[in-house]
Amino acid sequence: MLASALAMLYAKENKVVACDCDADAPNLGLWLGVEDYDSVEKVSTSSRAVIDYGKCVNCGKCAETCRFNAIKMQEGKPVANYFLCEGCGACELVCPQKAITMKSVQNGAVRVRRNASGIPLYSGQLFPGETGSGKIVEEIRKRAEKEEHEVMVLDAAAGIGCPVIASVRGCDRAVLVTEPTPSGLADLKRALTLVEHFNLPYQLVVNKWDANKETTAAIEEEFGEKVIGKLSYDRKVIDSIVRLKPILESDSKVVGEIKAVFQRLQSP
Amino acid sequence: MEWAKEWDAAEAHPAGQEDGELLKVIASTGGKGGVGKSTFAILLAHKLANEGNKVVLCDCDVECPNDHLLLGTELGERQEILQDFPELVEEKCIKCGTCFRVCRENAIFWVEGKTPQFIEDLCIGCGACEIACPAKAIVGSKKTTGESFVSKVSDGFWLVTGISKVGISETGPVVGAVKERAVKLAEDKGADYLLVDTAPGTHCSVVAALLGCEKVYAVTEPTPLGEYDLRLILDLAKRLKIPAEVVLNKADVGPKEKTDEIAGAAGSRIGFEIPYSEELVSAYCNKELEKVVGLLCEL
Repeated sequence: MLASALAMLYAKENKVVACDCDADAPNLGLWLGVEDYDSVEKVSTSSRAVIDYGKCVNCGKCAETCRFNAIKMQEGKPVANYFLCEGCGACELVCPQKAITMKSVQNGAVRVRRNASGIPLYSGQLFPGETGSGKIVEEIRKRAEKEEHEVMVLDAAAGIGCPVIASVRGCDRAVLVTEPTPSGLADLKRALTLVEHFNLPYQLVVNKWDANKETTAAIEEEFGEKVIGKLSYDRKVIDSIVRLKPILESDSKVVGEIKAVFQRLQSP
Repeated sequence: MEWAKEWDAAEAHPAGQEDGELLKVIASTGGKGGVGKSTFAILLAHKLANEGNKVVLCDCDVECPNDHLLLGTELGERQEILQDFPELVEEKCIKCGTCFRVCRENAIFWVEGKTPQFIEDLCIGCGACEIACPAKAIVGSKKTTGESFVSKVSDGFWLVTGISKVGISETGPVVGAVKERAVKLAEDKGADYLLVDTAPGTHCSVVAALLGCEKVYAVTEPTPLGEYDLRLILDLAKRLKIPAEVVLNKADVGPKEKTDEIAGAAGSRIGFEIPYSEELVSAYCNKELEKVVGLLCEL
């Protein structure tokens, strides 16, 4: 939500490109009020082991070598599990019969919408179950970079794994959004270690701050100046997304609160 | 979905349960972050435990595990999770660049005539460089990728928690190790249910958590965000050949017709509803979800 609103606010005076780096569950487009894309390009950033049983002599070296338990011996024959295979090629290298080949798979798509509430939007979709979420994010970013822009707003995925690393790497700053719950706080601290690992200047926003005012106060106490805004819990936010309307177009008090965050981001 | 045609061509293995018929292994998942996977998993665990079942809950959201926090449970017996990562023995290196050429993760930086640089953030520890090096100058060295903990929540209810080390990009293998420990614990304790709480998303660490489950609960919410992500999760469950049921969280904040339609189209149905309520939010924040098990509405 915040990423979409900030993109729209920056776009009033800057050339902006919006980048949805959550390739698993891309939602940024929905917050910008769009469901369709102008172009969809399937990409291949991973591969899978394919065993040629005509050449295979069942020596089991591949099963022994695979560090991801993706090859198991079943009734004397090696069987590769599509879902566990990371496409690294170690089995292909180790097979004495050259019976294994790594085959490229189309593991996702990059999508572009030229005008999402006035902003070009680059998004992607990892095909469910595929590996290489982080690489899909890299493909999205590579294409978004080519778009003429002064500001790029990236909406990262949840967590701290490869898609988040791919989103955060090379950025100038990070805005972390949290909520005042035990899980919100714990996940914030994990995300912070990642942001600090990349030496990124960062600021915090507490969403649904009034759901637990004590915890919000504790967050403000711990992080001080880093907290640049608090967004209220407001049912109008849900109404907005249900109608696929950008949050800035609603009459929710959250709009003023987001604008205050934007103001804070302008100050050095 | 149009691109689903690509999948059928893939050689997928049925990912359902192979053995251990007495132990029911069930997952709580959902593409969107914050949709209520952990809330549902905990409510279900309490419900099953209240009915006299022995339950093991396995928190497979190893990047951001929350179950121990929501249960207010101290983390118990710790075990390290280790994986081999490449280490260069410089004296043996002949600077041929073979390792750079075989690395599919672009985790090795090499310039002609120099020794290679290994980029830890990108390395998944597959060992391809170790195998390919003609001078045997790269060796596998065990590094910690995460840890697992076993904690007792109450009589007949245990929690296994996995936490990946920050900076590890491939968390799939960490999930695999945590699940293995949970399955062993469930077998040792004669548990009736192993509930697996997954990370959000549809990528490899979620898949690692879902493999071997006999049923998937796909948690969603009645908004366009929830609906979009529900389609993905139901497609994933179908691809893994695991039957899925939908859990509609915050059920009254939006219309549920679309969710019903999406579930039906995937051969599934809404199995549980959880209303949005201040009582639930309060119980969640105060780590007292056992008090609101009654809000879990089985349809």
